[in-house]
Amino acid sequence: MATTTARPSPTAPTTGPAASQRRGRPARRKTDGVAGYVFLSPWLLGLLTVTAVPMLMSLYLSFTNYDVLSDWESMEWVGLDNYRTMFTEDPSFWHAVRTTLVFALVATPLKLAAALGVAVLLNRSFKAAGLFRGLFYLPSLLGGSVALAIVWVNMFNRDGAFNSFLSWFGIEGKAWVNDPDYALGTLILLAVWQFGAPMVIFLAGLKQVPTELYEAASVDGASPFRKFVSITLPMLSPVIFFNLVLETINGFQGFTSAFVLSNGTGGPVDSTLMYTLHLYIKGWNEYQMGYASAMAWVFLLAIGLVTAVVFRTGKFWVHYSDGED
Amino acid sequence: MTVQRLARPLTLVLLSAVVLYPLVWMLGSSFKGPQEVLNNMSILPREWTPGNYSAGWTNFDVSFGRFFVNSALVAGLTVVANCVSCLLAAYAFARLKFKLRGFWFAIMIGTLLLPGHVLIVPQFVMFKTFGWVGGDWPYAPLIVPQLLATEAFFVFLMVQFMRGVPRDLDEAATIDGCTPYGVFRHVILPLSRPALVSTAIFSFIWTWNDFFRQLVYLSDLEKYTAPVALTLFIDSSGQSSVGPMFAMSVLSLAPVFLFFVAFQRMLVEGINTSGLKG
Amino acid sequence: MTASRFPRRRLLSGLVAGMLALPLALGGCGGDDAKDDGKVELSFFWWGAEARAQLTEQALALYTAKHPDVTFKKTWQANQGYFDKLATLTAGNDAPDIFQIDDNYLAEYATRNVTLDLAEYQKSGKLDTTKFPKGLLDYGTVEGKLAGLPFGENTQGLVYNQTKLEAAKVALPKTGQTWEEHIAWAKDATAKTGVPGTMDPSADYKAFWVWLRQTGKEMYNGKELGFTQADVQAWFELWKGARDAKATPTADVIHEGNATDVSKQLVVTGKALTSWVWANQMPELQKNTKDQLSVVAYPGDASKQWPRASMYFSVFRGSEHKDVAADVLNFLANDPEVGKILGTDRGLPSNSDIRAAVAASTDNPSMKQTIEVVGELAKNFGPAPTVPPAGHSTVRSELIKAAEEAQYGRATPAQAAEKFFAAAQAAIKK
Repeated sequence: MATTTARPSPTAPTTGPAASQRRGRPARRKTDGVAGYVFLSPWLLGLLTVTAVPMLMSLYLSFTNYDVLSDWESMEWVGLDNYRTMFTEDPSFWHAVRTTLVFALVATPLKLAAALGVAVLLNRSFKAAGLFRGLFYLPSLLGGSVALAIVWVNMFNRDGAFNSFLSWFGIEGKAWVNDPDYALGTLILLAVWQFGAPMVIFLAGLKQVPTELYEAASVDGASPFRKFVSITLPMLSPVIFFNLVLETINGFQGFTSAFVLSNGTGGPVDSTLMYTLHLYIKGWNEYQMGYASAMAWVFLLAIGLVTAVVFRTGKFWVHYSDGED
Repeated sequence: MTVQRLARPLTLVLLSAVVLYPLVWMLGSSFKGPQEVLNNMSILPREWTPGNYSAGWTNFDVSFGRFFVNSALVAGLTVVANCVSCLLAAYAFARLKFKLRGFWFAIMIGTLLLPGHVLIVPQFVMFKTFGWVGGDWPYAPLIVPQLLATEAFFVFLMVQFMRGVPRDLDEAATIDGCTPYGVFRHVILPLSRPALVSTAIFSFIWTWNDFFRQLVYLSDLEKYTAPVALTLFIDSSGQSSVGPMFAMSVLSLAPVFLFFVAFQRMLVEGINTSGLKG
Repeated sequence: MTASRFPRRRLLSGLVAGMLALPLALGGCGGDDAKDDGKVELSFFWWGAEARAQLTEQALALYTAKHPDVTFKKTWQANQGYFDKLATLTAGNDAPDIFQIDDNYLAEYATRNVTLDLAEYQKSGKLDTTKFPKGLLDYGTVEGKLAGLPFGENTQGLVYNQTKLEAAKVALPKTGQTWEEHIAWAKDATAKTGVPGTMDPSADYKAFWVWLRQTGKEMYNGKELGFTQADVQAWFELWKGARDAKATPTADVIHEGNATDVSKQLVVTGKALTSWVWANQMPELQKNTKDQLSVVAYPGDASKQWPRASMYFSVFRGSEHKDVAADVLNFLANDPEVGKILGTDRGLPSNSDIRAAVAASTDNPSMKQTIEVVGELAKNFGPAPTVPPAGHSTVRSELIKAAEEAQYGRATPAQAAEKFFAAAQAAIKK
């Protein structure tokens, strides 16, 4: 795109030893190999120690009847039993899968749309912009705290604020949070309400869009909508992509709000029993950690597949300024 | 034209009113006494009870300020650790060519996918083997992993941002004699500010709110962090102090809010690549 | 190491097993606390709020004052996350020497050999339980072992809003009313006050349990369910009748009350005139409302209620200072001075002498009433049931789920009963 016009030189790279080693492209490739691993080394070390070991342990546990409390010696290898039980004998499993799908498929796009919309509104310099950014981020600051549950329940209860609002229009609301037909809806609303994180990332991304592009388009007489579609969206696509991937993963994980709002039960009547909440209950309330681990690995594979598909489609619509796919 | 000019502020004000209502309600409730906090739904208390704040602050043997200090320490160190370690890894993924890059990248995304609840026990056992658990400085299990870029979220975030930086800049720098280290220092680092600021903001806020890990690894009241301490107000089978809990929840929003407002300015000022033109 | 027990299918599994077993090996040869100087530090873990923390710390300080060689590493937190942390510590072979536990989890820990059998100390007199009610001790026994020292007695209590009932000139509920009478009373109370007369306890295991005992059944017989599907159905139908008669709130409000939190009980939030609680929660309930509350027994034959241990203290089987830990428990349970400090914070003191002393000295009217009511009921208590088996917490949540399906009208009592019965059976078998 238009970025090719800019060919600036960095501020002060010409001093020091680097200056004496001018090299062409082939040489750079070679240095890259070593440098790549140098830069990657903290992460690699972390992966091999902190991350991979517990992950592999949990994979191993998924083939056992590990129950957290008993001695490790009494743990038994049960082969694929946990996986078999999950797919054939646990009615809550499929229920949780459905609940999670509904939640993720509804909440994720809504949240992203809210985040992008507000970010675009706030991506202007005006006096109170900073304040507004903070205010819109505030809900996310509550995270999954104790206070949040009480607040949300009181907003969407029968005598809550939302129904008072509806009553202005003569509508009699329901006990949304306590109604198995609507509880998941309030959970989705909560997820959308906490749109702060993707909003911030969008804002940061918007700042990266070179202003010359808009100036050039203005000169050409492009409408704001036109500018949004042909400049903002493509230039923002790596960030949109990031938010899409992460919020999809988050949506499917969807643990905290369900846990907090239902007091860890997934109620009323399992209406908010998300996959990860079911997993938590199995592992930590029923001490079937082997089974919970198996659920976690099935989750990893399933979401891994979804993520891979998202990455695939990214090749068609994500525009990277670095010129690589 | 005036309609258009007014549209944006009006939308913003209306939107923020809706978005903030629950928080204002919480603020109002933090002034309600024990006998109305549970059953007075209105936003304003019938009787103003500012005592919730002093009661919450001094509720424990240790002043609540101590928990804020602990949280700030953990969150602050996490910010630094994440910014440094994830930036290095992200640079490698985004800009350098090396063997197995695609493989490692896939692994990194993979680490985002496993639900954390099955990792707690193995991780606890492992950290205990390392001797990190229950030492004089119990925060090690919370911070050391961050030094090793284990938060793949941030690595991925920075990768995406770096890939938005035109490669011409690197090439220009390379032609000027920069090694990959030089490119990192002179091109990527200054251009990564939005990504770094986002990382800082999220690291801080998420650590500030993180409950489960802090719960597992902290066992001494004096070392507790704000989210752990906030749960102490509610003993569901017995004594609960909902009013003071609300009060302290409101207070614990303040530091993160200020942190955010301070740092978001750096997002706004941002940078555009043209600013670097020699 | 542990190779013989692990079918070692792959190199990986061997590695992981070694990794898992390492802390055990290290723990086995450590023993750093057991130094020759005789100094001992016991870790002590409980859940609760600030008031309990202060009392407990005072009591432990008193022990240290009398035994200067023994100090405590005290950890307390809210019950949110308490059992998650306890389980994690246990998994790391790092469980506290002494920890608080309740009947939801006691069997889970005891049957997995986490808790020390205290009977040995009981026999040798090092742990004096002679002043404990027999039923209470039975309720701490799992598979013949004293898995936890019952610390605080409790029994079911029906709490009602005296102020509102008196204002509307409705007769106050009495111990000894039948369930049908209670429901009829509640219907009348709803009509006269405009507030639903009774919380619907069909999701509440303790109410179900009392009701079962009154019909000659039990919740559990050892590791089996002590009731039939028909019993559950009758129970669900009883309360469907009550809901249809408007004796109870609507399903969404009942759902709120189904949470166990004291602060969510409908009698406190003003959404019903009675709630089904544990009697010792009275003072906390009272704190949260301006209306005057009072407590009676659950409907039916009150002698079928039992002294339930509101919580226990257990000693970790892997503790390096078992004898000291047992001595600390003995001190906490039987020392009159400690009794005075701890009061009724964890329930009515198990030791009957101490309970009498506390009753005489308390100036909290709702606590006084609780002690009186429980004391009165205790005279007639029959034998206590055994501690609920492992799987009990799942049975509890399945009961809530099934009862709520009936409450929301998503299932008939018969369908809900069938579902619950199957789920409960599966949970116990695990």
